[in-house]
Amino acid sequence: MLEPTLMPSLQFESKSSRAKGIAFHPKRPWILVSLHSSTIQLWDYRMGTLIDRFEEHDGPVRGIDFHKTQPLFVSGGDDYKIKVWSYQTRRCLFTLNGHLDYVRTVFFHHELPWIISASDDQTIRIWNWQNRSLICTMTGHNHYVMCAQFHPKDDLVVSASLDQSVRVWDISGLRKKHSAPTSMSFEDQVARSNAQQADMFGNTDAMVKFVLEGHDRGVNWVSFHPTAPHIVSAGDDRLVKLWRFSETKAWEVDTCRGHFQNASGCLFHPHQDLILSCGEDKTIRVWDSQKRTAVQSFKRENDRFWVIAAHPEINLFAAGHDNGVMVFKLERERPASTVHQNNLFFITKEKHVRSYDFQKNAESPTLLSLKRLGSAWVPPRTLSYNPAERSVLVTSPSEGGSYELINLPRDGSGALDSTDSKRGQGNSAIFVARNRFAVLNTSTQTIDIKDLSNNTARSFKPPIGTTDIYFGGTGNLLIITPTAVYLYDIQQKKSIAELTVNGVKYVIWSNDGLHAALLSKHNVTIVTKTLEQVSTLHETIRIKSATWDDAGVLLYSTLNHIKYTLMNGDNGIVRTLDQTVYLVRVKGRYVYSLDRAAKPKVLHIDPTEYRFKLALVKRNYEEMLHIIRNSSLVGQSIISYLQKKGYPEIALQFVQDPTTRFELAIECGNLEVAVEMAKELDRPKLWTRLGTEALAHGNHQVVEMAYQKLKQFDKLSFLYLSTGDHSKLARMAKIAEHRGDFTARFQNALYLGEVEDRIQMFKEADLYPLAYMTAKSHGLEEECQSILEVTGVTEDQLTTPKFGQTATPPRPVVPTYKANWPTKATSQSIFEKALSGQLEGLSLEDAPAAATNGLGRDDAGDDDIAAKANGAMDVDEDEDAAGWDMGDDIVPEADSDFVNVESTDAGGAGSSEADMWARNSPIAADHIAAGSFESAMNLLNRQVGAVNFAPLKPRFLEIYSATKTYLPASAGLPPLVNYVRRTLDETDPRKVLPIIPRDLEHLASNDLQQGYDTMRSNKLEDGVRLFKGILHAIIANAASSESEATDAKKLATSAGEYALAMSIELARRRLGTPEAVNGNPELLKRSLELSAYFTIPKIEVPHRQLALLNAMNLAARSKNYSSASSFANRILANGGANRILENARRTKTQCERNPHDAVEIEYDQFAEFDICAASYTPIYSGTPYEECALDGTKYHTKYKGMVCTVCEVCEVGKHGSGLKLFA
Amino acid sequence: MDPYSAEGELINIHNHFHQGQYQEVVDFDTSALSAENALPAHILVLRSRLALGQAEDVLAEVQGESEPELAAVAALAEYSLGKTDAAVKTVEELASSAGDNQTVQVLGGTVLQAAGKSEEALALLSQHTGSLDAVALIVQIHLQQNRTDLAVKEVAAARRWAQDSLLVNLAESWVGLRLGGDKYQQSFYVFEELAQAPSTSSITTLVSQAVCELHLGRVEEAQTALEQAVQKQPDYAEAIANLLVLTVVIGKNATELTSSLKTAAPQHPFLADIEEKSSLFDKAATKFSPKVSA
Repeated sequence: MLEPTLMPSLQFESKSSRAKGIAFHPKRPWILVSLHSSTIQLWDYRMGTLIDRFEEHDGPVRGIDFHKTQPLFVSGGDDYKIKVWSYQTRRCLFTLNGHLDYVRTVFFHHELPWIISASDDQTIRIWNWQNRSLICTMTGHNHYVMCAQFHPKDDLVVSASLDQSVRVWDISGLRKKHSAPTSMSFEDQVARSNAQQADMFGNTDAMVKFVLEGHDRGVNWVSFHPTAPHIVSAGDDRLVKLWRFSETKAWEVDTCRGHFQNASGCLFHPHQDLILSCGEDKTIRVWDSQKRTAVQSFKRENDRFWVIAAHPEINLFAAGHDNGVMVFKLERERPASTVHQNNLFFITKEKHVRSYDFQKNAESPTLLSLKRLGSAWVPPRTLSYNPAERSVLVTSPSEGGSYELINLPRDGSGALDSTDSKRGQGNSAIFVARNRFAVLNTSTQTIDIKDLSNNTARSFKPPIGTTDIYFGGTGNLLIITPTAVYLYDIQQKKSIAELTVNGVKYVIWSNDGLHAALLSKHNVTIVTKTLEQVSTLHETIRIKSATWDDAGVLLYSTLNHIKYTLMNGDNGIVRTLDQTVYLVRVKGRYVYSLDRAAKPKVLHIDPTEYRFKLALVKRNYEEMLHIIRNSSLVGQSIISYLQKKGYPEIALQFVQDPTTRFELAIECGNLEVAVEMAKELDRPKLWTRLGTEALAHGNHQVVEMAYQKLKQFDKLSFLYLSTGDHSKLARMAKIAEHRGDFTARFQNALYLGEVEDRIQMFKEADLYPLAYMTAKSHGLEEECQSILEVTGVTEDQLTTPKFGQTATPPRPVVPTYKANWPTKATSQSIFEKALSGQLEGLSLEDAPAAATNGLGRDDAGDDDIAAKANGAMDVDEDEDAAGWDMGDDIVPEADSDFVNVESTDAGGAGSSEADMWARNSPIAADHIAAGSFESAMNLLNRQVGAVNFAPLKPRFLEIYSATKTYLPASAGLPPLVNYVRRTLDETDPRKVLPIIPRDLEHLASNDLQQGYDTMRSNKLEDGVRLFKGILHAIIANAASSESEATDAKKLATSAGEYALAMSIELARRRLGTPEAVNGNPELLKRSLELSAYFTIPKIEVPHRQLALLNAMNLAARSKNYSSASSFANRILANGGANRILENARRTKTQCERNPHDAVEIEYDQFAEFDICAASYTPIYSGTPYEECALDGTKYHTKYKGMVCTVCEVCEVGKHGSGLKLFA
Repeated sequence: MDPYSAEGELINIHNHFHQGQYQEVVDFDTSALSAENALPAHILVLRSRLALGQAEDVLAEVQGESEPELAAVAALAEYSLGKTDAAVKTVEELASSAGDNQTVQVLGGTVLQAAGKSEEALALLSQHTGSLDAVALIVQIHLQQNRTDLAVKEVAAARRWAQDSLLVNLAESWVGLRLGGDKYQQSFYVFEELAQAPSTSSITTLVSQAVCELHLGRVEEAQTALEQAVQKQPDYAEAIANLLVLTVVIGKNATELTSSLKTAAPQHPFLADIEEKSSLFDKAATKFSPKVSA
């Protein structure tokens, strides 16, 4: 019998009076519902909102239909009327009158401008809605016609009537007549339309083709199959009948029995072999149209169903009942899937398990077929993957919920039916550990923990009302109830945390397992692994799926968007979707998803915005810097976001528009930028604001500029007074005089304490009394007299008050005007510094230190790029290590190199893996790792002539220390020793090789850069040590490829050059203090020579510039102008940082006036030579030399046989078979 | 019924012991156990106390007891206190008198192996009748002898009769770390499962998990786990030793860790090994010299 538990998933439900008619819009998420109460409602079932109401019918409205393409719909009601409406203008366009009783159904024709209506007046009528005329009346039924529909393609009509018959009509005649060429004359048309009436009986426009009799009560509904020649009908005899027809006949195929009340509606599933029917018994039933058996049914408590409709395109159905309409999906469209590392496992619509490789972007062939799982019409719900056992756990909602545990075949070729599977009853089943899975049974409310042979290991009762379970981190389960989520410890059988969240449907763990996103219909809640809520957000549209970015950003999809949310709840839209997808993984700019057909899809996104916001939240300035430099992240939204979040200084970096830049600069107190922008815009308003802001900062120089621009002389004077700038104040007085502004003059004179000036001014203004008083009060008697004389007044005529102290302005104690107040330290963030290239360490490449500071941002940027380019080039196209690999072709005598590592075969003990390493490899480093130091030394001696091993001791012990781990095993015994390999996938003991710490990549990216830093920062002692360290690390190392081995040799040469260069300069510094050297001609000569030699080794250009600068300055100072200008020329030829170039140009011009050397030194600027590393003297090309086999340092022949001063390991002139780094 | 089986009374305390949760063993409520299980539980408690470094107290408690089980505990306690000879002597006596006693086999085997008498240890342990403790010990001894082949066989045999037992899983993981390749990942799963579930987590399993990660080349994860372990118990030698190795692997300076290992466990095999290799280096280096000294 029917499964009462299976419910179609409900998408939307409306509450209203009895719904009699339903129509889906073919494209938009709309549904029209005609009600018994005379209203027509237009709903958006996706949003769940009522869009419109149409109320013009009088009495119940039974028939309703959308036009496929036009913005039209048609309705028919108990007022005998058919109305055609426009939903755009929201009004009834016209009414078709003609029926003489209730209109039961109305439908548009799929292509012709026709409407078909069925009525209680026992007729079916076809109308042309373009010319609004009745074109055909079909008579024959002798009771109410309950339903009439066009065939979706052919010229057929099917109708159902209470006369217990179903009729099929042929309307090809009608089509011929009405789609004939329009060349008819007017008379023809008139004749035809007149003929219409005559056709009413026995016409040939519409002929009854078949009368299907079989129902023994009235028939309520009838439908064509969308493609096949099938008809389905539903009647008051409670039966749903399936019919078939051919060209010539029609017959009953079968009957679906099950409804126990009148069956009111029925239809074929648009894509599957299913029939849906509904009835007054309050059920919707689904039948298999092949087997004619019930597949499932859904019962409502109180409401009788009256009508059922299917969406023409997507998997949606609607049914109208006594209290409204429900829209539902018949089957789950979400494909079951799970992600493990780089693989997605998913179940296709054909119930095949497949995998998809994110790295290769390739879908696998079918791994497994699940055809036999569950009922044919019910797709599996969930998929859980166990990487350790390579098995999957699939749950299906059929049969009240069941699960199946199946091993995936190793090779995955061909559609294998699951052979060895274990199954059981349960609603949810997930793996909780390598060999355990949990099964939830909602009906009994138990959770069983089972082992892989499907035996229950333990069992417990979850919190009441549990609906689902999810993985909860190792050893834990997340238990979902309708109102809360519990974190449950399986071992202790108790809930360890609880969080109140409503209606959680899915749980998605972040890649690092520290956070999970709980998805419910409209909410995303992010929690930690201990179930503490981090953030939550609400969406108005249904949330479908989510996946985590590696950086901890959650991307989620709604019906039509992909959005992101950060941990702090900030969210936004990433892109729009044209169809619903289920996200499974995000990697870089790609989002991987499954669509509703269970096909993997890759979508492109632009992650810049959320990455940037994430970087901002994490204060990862480097990342932000990178994003700003490398992407076009601009726009008002990001600027206002930054401003809102309190990062105006960062927003500043994005803005080009000067006005906005000015605003932001003021906001973050970046006066420099503000001044720049104010100058550019030059508007009084801006200068005023700038002045105010600068004053607050104590930056009176900017204030001064602003006042000057604004011509605010008073303020300017007062500013000068308060900063104590007398000279400028005096100038202000002059200006005031020029302007003839007495008030200003007076003010300035007052500020300056210039009494005479004031008196003079009063006099000029004919204010003699004031002039006199001023003079008098300052005791300037002569002046008083002269005033009296001029005015002709005598002293006794005047009554003067008693004078107090004269007002002299205070003298400034501190010359404040000379410098600004110390500016706010915080105004420049790390970020800004980084952007302006002032922060060391952020830029990986090294512009010479001298050049970095004091330059504008742009310059520094250029330098950076230049340096970067140089660096890259040097690495790539270094001379191909000629004269280096003397013996690359000679295979070292590996066999004889084996030291017989005594394997104590006796006593049952075997040889350890470390012993194997030495046997497996001819590389010295591997012998070191094996602890076989002696053989390693022998190898190195033979390869590069290593003789002095003492400096290598730390390296030997370093390698050796990294080889073993200590695994605590049985109590009371020492730990088990295991051997760390660099060949991770290798299991053949004859091929395994040990890990070598500080491999070549590490050296190039760490040690080498540190070495460069020492060069830049002039810490040469450290530098020599570092570069020697690099050599020592290279000599005992292993390359992963032949090319890496070649690179290693280049690295060794480069390190050798640096060590030599630095040693030369250090030797020069050891000669003595500058004074001592200058005083001693011999030392001076040597000093100049060494400084010249310092420029010879082949080091990176920016570093060579430093050496050249050093040599040039020394030479110039010692009046060796000729040499100095040659160094200057070399600097200029190299190019690079401006400051150095400037310096060189200056020196060059100075030196060329007198191109002579005061001290004769052994340095021929025109000759090619190398430097002997023992004597620091030139080896001119053509003269014989010896060299070190490791680093290629050259020596005069007399030094043959001694230890190389650079690497301190190898013997000079001893040529070996060449360093072996790759076997 | 086997008290150690999944339904047995001792399953939890036994698992605690082998998961390295010694304090949980000591705190375990043994009062509810049936009479025949009281002694094995007591032995587990004593062994846990030994593992927690309370050798003297334990020795004082069991000194002079005649039961072979307790005598074996005494021997192990003596060994922990450095009285190797006395311990070996006791064990050898017990082996001849009560060689069929399971506790004697396991504890005796431990003492003998620790004292370097692997063959005798194996001989004693081979008398076991279905004891997983003994199997685990045998596996470890084979591994220490570098006889991975024998260890593989032993585990495979045990796997047949004790499908999903903790000890078999552990022993298999130990072997897996020797075999490498895919086995690294499988061992990792076992340890991770134990280490990450709060109810089974212990410093031992955490370190084991980290070791697997190190072998798998996942140094960052390994570092996190080890630092967590060191934080949990700063003097846990294995955590320090492995962190030291890891530090070297990633090319960092490990001087500080070496000195803290010296403080925590001066006898640690790593230190002894490096010491030995250091002198070996000096000796070997003397064989080479330049033709001309500078």
